[in-house]
Amino acid sequence: VTNLLTAQRSSPQPQWQNFARAQRLGIHLLVQALVVLLCVLLLRQPVLSPPDDYALTDARLAQDGVERDVTLPDRSGKSPSGAPLTYTLAFNAGIVAPGHPWSVFVPRFMNAVELAVNGVVLLDSRRTSLANRPDRNTPELVPIPASLLRDGSNSLTIRLFVWGPLGGFLDRVYVGPDDELRPAHQRRTLLFVTTPTILSAWHAGLALIVGIIWLMRRHEPYYAALAAALVLGFLHAFAAVSPTPSPLAGWNAVLVASGALEASCVLLFMITFLGFRWPTWAWLVFLPGLLIVVAGFGGPALVYKANLILVAPTVGLSLIATWLAIARTAAGRLDPVALLLGCGVTAMMTCLGHDLLSLLNITSDLRTFTARLSYSLLLVMIGIGLTWRFARALNEVDGFAHRTATMLSEAEERLRAAFAQEEKPARAAALAAERSRLMRDLHDGLGGQLVSIVALSERKGRDGDPIGDAARAALRDLRLVIDAMDDIDGDLMLALGMWRERAQAQLRPHGMALDWQVRSPAGLPVHPELHPWHVLQILRLLDEAVTNAVKHSGATRLIVSLETVEQAESRHGRITIQDNGRGFDPFRTNAASNGHRGLVNMRMRAMRCDARLELTSDATGTRLQLDLPTRFPDAEVAGS
Amino acid sequence: MALKSHNDRPESKISVLLVEDDPLTRERLHEVLSAAEFEVTSAATLAEASAVLDLPDRAGPNVLLTDLQLPDGHGTALIREVRQRFPDTEIMVISIFGDEQSVISAITVGATGYLLKDAFPADIAAAVRDLVAGHSPISSSIARFIVRQTQGQTKATPQLPLNTAKLTPREIDILWGIAKGFSYADIAGNLGLSRHTVPSHIKNIYRKLEVNSRSEAVFEALQQGLIRL
Repeated sequence: VTNLLTAQRSSPQPQWQNFARAQRLGIHLLVQALVVLLCVLLLRQPVLSPPDDYALTDARLAQDGVERDVTLPDRSGKSPSGAPLTYTLAFNAGIVAPGHPWSVFVPRFMNAVELAVNGVVLLDSRRTSLANRPDRNTPELVPIPASLLRDGSNSLTIRLFVWGPLGGFLDRVYVGPDDELRPAHQRRTLLFVTTPTILSAWHAGLALIVGIIWLMRRHEPYYAALAAALVLGFLHAFAAVSPTPSPLAGWNAVLVASGALEASCVLLFMITFLGFRWPTWAWLVFLPGLLIVVAGFGGPALVYKANLILVAPTVGLSLIATWLAIARTAAGRLDPVALLLGCGVTAMMTCLGHDLLSLLNITSDLRTFTARLSYSLLLVMIGIGLTWRFARALNEVDGFAHRTATMLSEAEERLRAAFAQEEKPARAAALAAERSRLMRDLHDGLGGQLVSIVALSERKGRDGDPIGDAARAALRDLRLVIDAMDDIDGDLMLALGMWRERAQAQLRPHGMALDWQVRSPAGLPVHPELHPWHVLQILRLLDEAVTNAVKHSGATRLIVSLETVEQAESRHGRITIQDNGRGFDPFRTNAASNGHRGLVNMRMRAMRCDARLELTSDATGTRLQLDLPTRFPDAEVAGS
Repeated sequence: MALKSHNDRPESKISVLLVEDDPLTRERLHEVLSAAEFEVTSAATLAEASAVLDLPDRAGPNVLLTDLQLPDGHGTALIREVRQRFPDTEIMVISIFGDEQSVISAITVGATGYLLKDAFPADIAAAVRDLVAGHSPISSSIARFIVRQTQGQTKATPQLPLNTAKLTPREIDILWGIAKGFSYADIAGNLGLSRHTVPSHIKNIYRKLEVNSRSEAVFEALQQGLIRL
């Protein structure tokens, strides 16, 4: 079946689809045929009867003053006068052992019986309202008081009351030891009395659940249809039939004859539940049921008459329509619910057919009606189907909720990223605006004044004047600040490109050459997390190194090299500054000197950026190696 | 400050018109350039500079060195005038920081370089000589600004109407190299150029960034979305 499904999915050609459809339908029909076979086998099982030794079949029937011999079971029908039919039977009783009483067992009768042994009335079933229902197969078992039994021949008189639209019926009667008869009676009671009661309770519970579902989900009317059918079925089960006239008898009869209405409701449920459209004209299916209700005004007799004409066609039609709808669904897709419902409907159709054949005396049957029982079982299957579908819907909701949550979190992530993306240019714009404002301020104020100091210091004609140098250093630092504030998108190479020009200008007057070497193709790695303050720390650190070289090294050449160092798991940038000067001892520098303070500053700056600074110096020159972190810290690394 | 003019300059001397309002800086630059055998004329305002340019039977200076913030106006007006009247004059901006605000605005009206106000004397003379020799210097920050503009990234400074549409991919590559601090030799090597052609490429870049006429300036401004009709 899985292969079939896959084949259908992977090849959408109509031929393939038709073939798959036919195959699914074939499987469905095969299963239904098996169900019919199973039902027939079950129905043909010998009805639960006591041993044949205790059966009484020969009776003398007195009907309207006419007496004749009959053989039970007898379907003599109705007596025109309405008077009861009197069957007289004879049986031999042996010696009744103490503790083993005898009983009379009447497994099936219509509509009511009065039993008398040796002229003493033992039972009148008319008093048991449930036993009066012709659609039930209520058995009767009555113990015979030992004192009544005579040694030898005894007489059993059965008066059969017939009032239904159906003819009277009396099955074989059993007389014998109670021990022998009672098991059959109990089995019949279990099957035809207790089981329907249990199922009725089940219907009531399901009706409540389905009704509540419908109240909460008005847009799914099939729940209402099912709830209505279940309520009707429940009321039907407990409706009593009383042979005595009463004002409510007509309505009571309507409940007994609720079959047509129930069938319509179930049809409505099935069609809509399976996802088919309920055409307007289909409401006509409710007409027979409503006619029966209307007949309620005319009293029970009219109701039963109407019921007799209408119930079988309505139920049959509904069953056929439902069966076809299920078959169509089963052909369209693999649906365990449809298969289950299909089995239920097929079983009920089989039982209904059996009942009809029995009613029409076509099969030699004992008038045990099974349609109602199979209908109850069908309702159970519907309940299973509903629960199945409900659970599946819950699973889908869970899956959907999970998918929704996933999608939601993804969307949130995207939104956050979009926000960050939008925030970035805004931040850059704010930084750029701040930078131009600062630059304007410096142009007008500090910058101009420093330039004037440079000019003044040079006018005195002293080259290398410390005031001029200091002013130039201040200007250089201002430019570093401005450079650091520029938006370089994490590309340190851009900041270093600017710094290179400044360093070159600074070295040139001192006759020092700057050798700029980019050793990796791309220079240094790009750091998206780079902040202006990182850039400023690094530029000032490098500036300090150049200033030291200018002041103390006596070098003629300064090599600045940039490279990306690839290690096992990470890569980081490395900046090296090397001069060819006389070098110094980093550990014996005078603590008070500027040089020492410069070194301390450089180490501090490196540490704040999480960079590693290595300084080596000997007679051939000084080498400074700055290893940048793989990731710049978000906040300054606390200094010690 | 009195006007200093040298009408009878020898043919060999390079004439420089220096426009700077700060007396100390002006005097310093004047001295440095004079000491480097340039023929220097100084002016403190736009009016003084115009007066020098309007002198009869005088060709334009070889070099115009001008500050942008002048007491009677902005230096870009002077640059545009000189560029139109004396196309052979090389123009340089004097700037404190060499920032893109000043330099780019000067480039768009015809300047081809800038000089830092505190530059060392030797550098000042060298820069002017290079300029006359056809070597227009370009700083990495200016190069970067131009490259950014080609990528449409510099929305932060819309006051600079810089049209980079005419730049070729090669010229943009050269600007990137400069922005990242690569030397001309490195750039030439990477791009498969002769080292000596890089300066002429830079000169071309300057020329392409110049907004040639008033109508074109309006057109460019429209292009940049600065003016809405």
